[in-house]
Amino acid sequence: MLQLSNIVVQLPNGKRLVNDVSFTVGRGEFVSILGSSGAGKSLTLRCIVGLTKPNQGEIVLTGPEGRAYRPTNVDAKELRRARRHMGLIFQGSNLVKRLTVLENVMLGRLGHISPVRSWLLGFTDSEARQAMIALDRVNMAQCAARLAGSLSGGEMQRVSIARAIYQRPLIYLADEPISSLDPKNAEAIMSILQPLSRETPVIGAFHQPAVVARYCTRVIGIREGKVVYDGRAQLSARQLEDIYGDATAEPIPAFHEPGLQPVLFEPDMQPPMRPSLHQGVPV
Amino acid sequence: MGALSSVPFRQESSFRDWKRNLAAQRWKHAAAALLLAVLTAIACWRCNVDLRSFVTGIGKGLSLLQMFFPPDWSGLLGMMQPLAVTAVMALIATILGMCLSLPCALAASSNIAPPFLRLMMRSFIALERGLPEIVQMLLLIAVFGLGAVPGLAALSFSSIGMLAKLLADGIEEIEPQMLEAVEGTGATRSQVIRYAVIPQILPSLLANGLFRFEVNVRAGVILGAIGAGGIGYIMSTSMNSMDYPKACMATLLTLALVFASERVSDFFRARILGEGAL
Repeated sequence: MLQLSNIVVQLPNGKRLVNDVSFTVGRGEFVSILGSSGAGKSLTLRCIVGLTKPNQGEIVLTGPEGRAYRPTNVDAKELRRARRHMGLIFQGSNLVKRLTVLENVMLGRLGHISPVRSWLLGFTDSEARQAMIALDRVNMAQCAARLAGSLSGGEMQRVSIARAIYQRPLIYLADEPISSLDPKNAEAIMSILQPLSRETPVIGAFHQPAVVARYCTRVIGIREGKVVYDGRAQLSARQLEDIYGDATAEPIPAFHEPGLQPVLFEPDMQPPMRPSLHQGVPV
Repeated sequence: MGALSSVPFRQESSFRDWKRNLAAQRWKHAAAALLLAVLTAIACWRCNVDLRSFVTGIGKGLSLLQMFFPPDWSGLLGMMQPLAVTAVMALIATILGMCLSLPCALAASSNIAPPFLRLMMRSFIALERGLPEIVQMLLLIAVFGLGAVPGLAALSFSSIGMLAKLLADGIEEIEPQMLEAVEGTGATRSQVIRYAVIPQILPSLLANGLFRFEVNVRAGVILGAIGAGGIGYIMSTSMNSMDYPKACMATLLTLALVFASERVSDFFRARILGEGAL
């Protein structure tokens, strides 16, 4: 179980990027954090992993036997202990490109290996076998010996999930795992994450409300650093507006100027990408 | 084009800015070229560089060149040992340089080392790179006396300087997300270095090391001439004693060594970069 209480991240000038965020995630949940770019989604996830230090608040990750791990207000050793139990799935570019796919998966349990052993011996055979099982789960076992840098974006993302699976964490944290992928690959990733979440909770930051509605069990909406929605994943148009703001409020100038033809684009083209609010969402 | 050119666009003024900048740029380039030409002329005049002496010197040079041929083939066998000294000196300096440049590079990278350590190491590298090998050699001769040791030390130091700088820049270019992802598994700093930093920069270390070997061979010949021994020393003594055929032989061997080192280094570098081109 992961518990965030009153997390605050602020700039030196006092502006709060994450403002008093609290939530609890427990067994069987597949939680999506939704919000515009810059709303504080990634920052919240980074706080959980201890890559960003929150100015206030507390984060506690509790294991099944009741042992508590804290990434906040602890020394480097405690932080590493907490990180061992968090499986990170970040946007594409986080694999070590010049290591093989299998080695990248085995990096997942570095926290459980002594540095001396890492330098002198490297990984053991039984570790490699378990890593193969994790790779197989994301359907990437056939690529085990390839260099990670030679994979496509979707394949890399699956390997980074395998790395998290191999880590056997208490929670999965996914920062925009499908943002850089095409719809087909995005679906593939979501259908790997969904069954995972039944064993171990998953928290992800997403930009696709329609996809989220189909796979997730819960949505936490963040706007300007504050939690503005926390509930079921199927959002109404009204609730989406609460999270993203009114899509027509700040038009993108070139397309709304009267008498000016957007010659370089198709005349019927929509303004470039805001999250598609009404596409496929049951209202 | 026709359809597009008739359409008005909003930022007429920014387009004019662009055109004005372009014109200004051309003037700047012309002025810089003129300035350079004037400076060159003044420099030649002030330093008494008489371009005519290039022409009058040709005849004298040709007659001197005649004295170099035919090369003294009888000296060939005797020169193999000094040739090997130069080659081995370059090789050892390269290996030492590669090994020692890695810790220096780690200490000089902003994403690995704390700021004060980085500053110290960067300053050390800059200082080292500011001194040419010959100057270092002359300083080291004062310490070790004449011989291969100061030569080897000078070459090793400058190898460390160059490789550590290139490597540190390479380390600083590693995507932060890659390091964070490894760190995020609970790995220690040393494990991050072992599994993220080293695999990413190893090909660049090897490729640059091979290139440095080439440089070390050339520099080793020059250092030899000022007292480090090897083929450079043979060349300088035979020139001083006006034994030009022997000097010619030494020159030919030097050429062969430099050429061979280039080929070897190119061969391995192509292989390394071929498989690590990610």
